[in-house]
Order: sequence, then structure tokens, then C-alpha cells
Amino acid sequence: MLLGVGNTIMGDDAVGIHVVRRLKEKLGSRTDLEFKELSVGGLRLIEEMLGYDQVLIIDSIESKGKKTGQIREFSPDQFKETEQTVAPHITNFATALELYKRLEPSEIPSTIRIFTIDIEPKLTFTEEMSEPVRDAATELVEQITREVQRDPTHSK
Amino acid sequence: MKTITINPVTRLEGHGKISIFLNEEGNVENAYFQVPELRGFEKFCEGRPVEELPDITSRICGVCPEAHHIASTKALDRLFHVDPPPTAKKLRELLYSAFFIADHTTHFYILSGPDFIMGPTAPKAERNILSAIGKVGLEVGTSIIKHRSDALDVIAMIGGKRIHPTCGVPGGVSKPITEIERAKIEAIAESEVEFATFSLKLFDDMVLHNKDYLNLITSDIYATETYYMGLVDDKNRVNFYDGKIRVVDPQGKEFAKFSASEYQQHIAEHVEPWTYLKYPYLKKIGWKGLVSGKDSGIYRATPLARLNVADGMATPLAQAEYERMYKTLGTKPVHATLATHWARLVELMYAAERLLELSRDSEITNPNVRTIPTAKPDEGVGVVEAPRGTLIHHYKTDQKGMVKNVNLIVGTTNNHAAISMSIKQAAERLIKKGDVSDGILNMVEMAFRAYDPCYACATHTLPGQMPLEVNIYNKDRRVLQTLRRP
Repeated sequence: MLLGVGNTIMGDDAVGIHVVRRLKEKLGSRTDLEFKELSVGGLRLIEEMLGYDQVLIIDSIESKGKKTGQIREFSPDQFKETEQTVAPHITNFATALELYKRLEPSEIPSTIRIFTIDIEPKLTFTEEMSEPVRDAATELVEQITREVQRDPTHSK
Repeated sequence: MKTITINPVTRLEGHGKISIFLNEEGNVENAYFQVPELRGFEKFCEGRPVEELPDITSRICGVCPEAHHIASTKALDRLFHVDPPPTAKKLRELLYSAFFIADHTTHFYILSGPDFIMGPTAPKAERNILSAIGKVGLEVGTSIIKHRSDALDVIAMIGGKRIHPTCGVPGGVSKPITEIERAKIEAIAESEVEFATFSLKLFDDMVLHNKDYLNLITSDIYATETYYMGLVDDKNRVNFYDGKIRVVDPQGKEFAKFSASEYQQHIAEHVEPWTYLKYPYLKKIGWKGLVSGKDSGIYRATPLARLNVADGMATPLAQAEYERMYKTLGTKPVHATLATHWARLVELMYAAERLLELSRDSEITNPNVRTIPTAKPDEGVGVVEAPRGTLIHHYKTDQKGMVKNVNLIVGTTNNHAAISMSIKQAAERLIKKGDVSDGILNMVEMAFRAYDPCYACATHTLPGQMPLEVNIYNKDRRVLQTLRRP
């Protein structure tokens, strides 16, 4: 399942959703893939992933010292260490995931990969994304498409 | 002067920042609560077809999109001068009851529960839901997420999606429900009533039977005397979906009762230069600064406020719990901020019972769920009780229904002044001679957390739970110490 996270009226914040929409255009005929969009975090984010084998989350991320448009990949374990300090949408991700691991272990995907694109925090409503983030979105769409096409199980 | 900054506040949504200023003796001189605000929402909406607003406004908050969706839909009813059929109103209220169940459950168990289950001054590593589940048992944990999830399933049945419902349209809802769906909702509602009963029993066992906690709830650390605001039905009982806005004074006497469309006659907003968020206050009393009491126009709109303004609850089990709460605490209105947690559970019971009532309503599967609007649109105000307080949407359009003006007063914003006062009060009473241990700071935060403030929509920021950063400065504003809480 490919899960785009973001808010479509908050500019660059929506990049995860835009990436998943484009992946759906390219890979929508694949019956082994599902595509979802989500504008919430915490427990609801984990709940959306329950019952899937493998999940790719695509989200924006705000962090100090990183270049806007930089693509990075995280595993859920890394969010234990960086817990709640960098990603507005994946905040409390580690705690929420741990809660469900204890309560519904059989429903947790065997693989969860998190792709992020670094954005600048903005305080204005808009549906437009900035150029570096748009470019990064295109690159990430290509990257994920290649990975999914090369390895249908897209696991590492 | 020594400054302590709690930034941002943990376990709640948005970017809150608490700054506590100490004097030479290490006692609290002042405390401020600040939040950033996103800009341009009104401009973003201008010129769009007004029917888009139930969808757009539900995206300004990742925590309670349902509240914005329903308030917005009700504003559209008024704007298009259309009265939805009875079944449509009931389906909206049914969805809304399910939403309250999911939201109150999350707040009580996930956000605030650990304070009581593990203890307010328990080591910080233990004050979280994982430790709390460890203490109350996995079975309870499974029940919490099951009942939360079932409530979201009900939202999906009515609203089309578990998150960001799309059912609300001017004049009604987009589709009726089937008998099969109704039966499912009824079964879920029966279980939710049992779950609310269990939750109130757990609160009894873990909090009320603990003398220290009961003392904490009723202590002057957490008592703030204000006016109260909430929606009531025609018998002055709590209602989340519709009714009149009632305001009572700090002695519990009715001060005002008005329709949503009259809100501007009663509510004004004060601006302070040091914070982006406005402070709503009662216009007829006036803004007297961040002070409590009858002469200050500050009011609260919270679960406790809703119970304080009402003469009772509209369902039997919730009414019994309402009576028990006021009997135990001995006064009405109750000013004890921490009693908000108890009030939230009384409301959980009401929401569950109301869900059950509506699922058994003979009209609920009636296919007539829409009155098609025919009048020209102009202006409309919609109101609901969001879990965090009274939520008002006010729109103006041209005759083609294109948005000219949008004004929102959201749940948490109503409480902004009271939250600031509660934090200051708790800090003043808890921090003495510079002792700012982690446990004490958590107890200061508890004053904040009781409001379940969600600055995601108050400031239009996104849902996010940020770490706690405590900066302690000396009188020259140099950082003496930085504490970071994951």
C-alpha cells in the first residue's frame, strides 16, 4: 500500500499526497498495489496501515539544517530515536505503532518504509507547491516506480 | 528574572509554548502561553463555490475534521435558506455522536489518562499510553482501540470515509442508510454504552477512590472561576449538534441564551501583541485582561462548561452520572479544571446513548435525506459543539454562492484566555523557590491538557505532537538549563 500523507491546502506539506496521486496514475493497473491519501497523524495513521503486508509512507518533513527538496528514507525504528522532533505528520508515530504492535501484532505490516521530502515550514494556505519540492516529487515518483517495478514485493 | 519555557507542550496537537517567568526568589511572576497562527485562510476561501467549504474547512484540522464538516454544512443550510428533512438531521447527529465517542475516548485514554493511571509525578518515561496499558492490561487496551475504531466505522457508514466525511450537503446528507447498516450501528452503539460504563468505573477506581487525586482535582491549583458556554436543547440539556448557545455566570446563573446567528452580539475578540491567537470574550462584560471572576468577560467552552451551562443530560445513564458528578464535587458550576476529564466521560456516555437512540429511531432509514435548495444564497452561520468547545462557522457569499467572507471561532480559541490563566495559576501554586522538577512541570502542563486543546485548528496548524522543551533562563535571559522531553 502506498500512503501519501499531507494537507492539500498547505502547499509543500501536501507533497506526499501529490506523489501518491502520480504513482496511482503510473501504477494504478497493478492489482497488488493500493493507494491511499491521509491528512491526519498519530493513531489514525497507524489504523490506515493495519492488515497490509507492506506499506510505503510518503510525507513531507521539516527539519533543521536540511535542504528543501531533499529526499530521505526512514525506517519506523529511526523514529524512535528522532521521536516527535522532526516530522509533523509522523509525530507520535513510534508510540502509536508500538501501541498497535502490542495490541494487534498480527495486523502490523511486515515492512514499513517512510520516504520524506524536506520542506520549509510555511504559515500560509495555498494549493501550490514550491519549485524544489515539485522537482523532488517528480524524482521520488521515478524512484519509487523503479523500485516497485524492479521488485514487485518492494521490500528491502 | 528566571524564565522557564515549556515549548512545545507535549501530547497535544500543534505548537504550543509556555513561558514561565520567575522572580529573584524563584517564585512565579508571570506566565504566558503562545501559539503561532497560519495566515490567509479567509483569502484562500474567497471566490470559491461555498459548497466546497465543508470539505476545505475539514482540512484545517487533522484532529476533528468531522466537527468542521458538520458546522460548515449547517452554515450552508442557513446560507441557502433550506431546512433538511428530519432523517438528514438525525443522520448528521448520529455521525456526530460517533465522532464524539472516538474523540473523547482518545483524549481520556491516550492523552490524559497516563497522568492519572501512572500518577502526575511518575517518571516521565512512564507517563505515556504504553506504560498505562501495561498497568491496566492489554485487554483494556484492545477494548479502547476497538471502541475507537468501531466509532470511526460508523462515521464511514454515514460520511463515506473514516476520516474527512463527505456526506454533508446544504439541505441534508448525500445518502440514506440501509437497514443492514442501521443494525450494525445499533450493535456498535450497545457496545459503546458498555464501554462508557466501563470508562466511568475505571475513573472511579483509579481517580475518585484515590484521595490524593480527588484532592488534586478540587484543589485551588486547578480552579478558575469564569463564565461558561455551551449548546443546549429546548429543555436546557446538553446537545452537541444543535440548539441555542447558553452562557452562565461564575455563580451558575443564566447570563445569555442566543442563536448561532446572533453570536457577534455576544462574542468579541481581543488581540494581544505577544500572541497570534485572539482571545474571545463576552462582549457585554468586556475584556478586563487575563483575570477570572464575574467582572471579566472570559468564558470557557469545554466538556465541563457544557455540563455547567446545562440543567441536565438528555439520556438516562448520562443524567445519572451528571447528578453524581455535581453531588460529589458539591457545587455547580464546578470551576475545577481537572474535573473536565470527568465531564468528558459523562459526555462519552451521552454520546454512546444518543448513538443508540438514533440507531433505533423509526425514521433513521427513511430515504428522504435531502431538501434541494432553491433560494438564493447570501449568509449563514452554523454552530456545533466540537469536543473542545463551541465551534462557529460564518460565511457570506454573492448571489451565485461564491465566497465573499469567512469567519470561524473554533473550540480551543474560546478557551485561549482561560488556558493562559489556568497555566499561570498552576505555575504560581506549584513552583516555589525555583523548584521546577519534571513532575512539577508536568503538573503545570496538566492544567493545559485538561482542555484537550487542539491548536491544529485554532491556529490552523497541522496535527503534530511535538517534544517538550524547557528552557530556564536567569534574570538576564541567559539560558541556565535546557530540558528536553521526547
